[in-house]
Amino acid sequence: MDQHTPESPRTRGLQMARSMCWHCQSAVTGEYFCERCVKVQPVSKETDYFTCLGFPRRLTLDQKKLEAKFYELSRTFHPDFYQTKSSAEQTISLGNAAVLNTAYRTLRDPIQRAEYLLCLEAGSVKNIRTSPPADLFEEILELQDTLEAYRSSDRDSQKGRELRVALETEQRALDQRKQEMEAQLQRLFTEWDQLQDRGEATSQARAERDRLLKQMRDLLSNRTYVTSIVNDLAATIA
Amino acid sequence: MAYSNKVVDHFNNPRNMGSFKKDEDGVGTGMVGAPECGDVMKLQIKVQNDTIVDAKFKTFGCGSAIASSSLATEWLKGKTIEEAQQIKNTDIVQELNLPPVKIHCSVLAEDAIKAALADYQKKTEEQTPSTK
Repeated sequence: MDQHTPESPRTRGLQMARSMCWHCQSAVTGEYFCERCVKVQPVSKETDYFTCLGFPRRLTLDQKKLEAKFYELSRTFHPDFYQTKSSAEQTISLGNAAVLNTAYRTLRDPIQRAEYLLCLEAGSVKNIRTSPPADLFEEILELQDTLEAYRSSDRDSQKGRELRVALETEQRALDQRKQEMEAQLQRLFTEWDQLQDRGEATSQARAERDRLLKQMRDLLSNRTYVTSIVNDLAATIA
Repeated sequence: MAYSNKVVDHFNNPRNMGSFKKDEDGVGTGMVGAPECGDVMKLQIKVQNDTIVDAKFKTFGCGSAIASSSLATEWLKGKTIEEAQQIKNTDIVQELNLPPVKIHCSVLAEDAIKAALADYQKKTEEQTPSTK
């Protein structure tokens, strides 16, 4: 995945205060342009994708608004509008357009958005990784054996047909499970947003925050495992 | 990038594929996964007199993950517990010529070895009550 992990999420919010226009050296107060000399400003490396697209750090967001903002900024930074500008401005606008594309691609997908938020909030995903789901792993490995048996069987034989029926049943069950996981994730997303909106700094709120991050981490991981075997299954019986 | 010949060989002729019963005496089980790519690896060792006499694996994942775990079981056989602890993912990378994008597969295999050893040690401690 090409999403970048900001080195220090703690510095967010500060980048505007200490940034200076690269051209006229005055303090930059505007979003992407210097208000004094109207030159385009580079998106700071520390700017997270939410800030980049002007959205709060939430897991439920309005897709239409996100798209509209993306198109608006895409036009703003489009290289065509910088053809007559200095090469410095051309480079900056091109860099901004690239960051913007990645930001939009990451945020428009709810799962990628959540993975990204976990990176921002937890620093490193590894820190909140829990023990692997052994039961799920056993199931996946067992299913893989069945898939292997099906691949090496004569599809038109009695055995091949039986295996196929078993795999189709398994596929429905797994699809169902994936949907349940996604519904559960959606509930956690809502809980997370509500917690953020309340903005409490109590120890309870912190414990709640950690619980939500951990649960989201586990569910996202488990969803990846299930997706991976489901794709393999679908490709095998297609 | 194409797989190296060694990866292809392990992929086509995986060594020691299968599993032991988890509760069998002397068996240690390591179960690990890579949430980034969805790969799952199970690696088991059978230990007698502090020496790994047999090892088996089952892996759901890409060719490199399968080759890494297959190679790991080959290396584990005949090693003492202490020697097995020394196996590093970089050894696997080197032996299989894994490209940078596949290094995480070797990390997964090292994690699986460590998990299997830890599981075995936990089991033996529980079985032999402290003599102190």
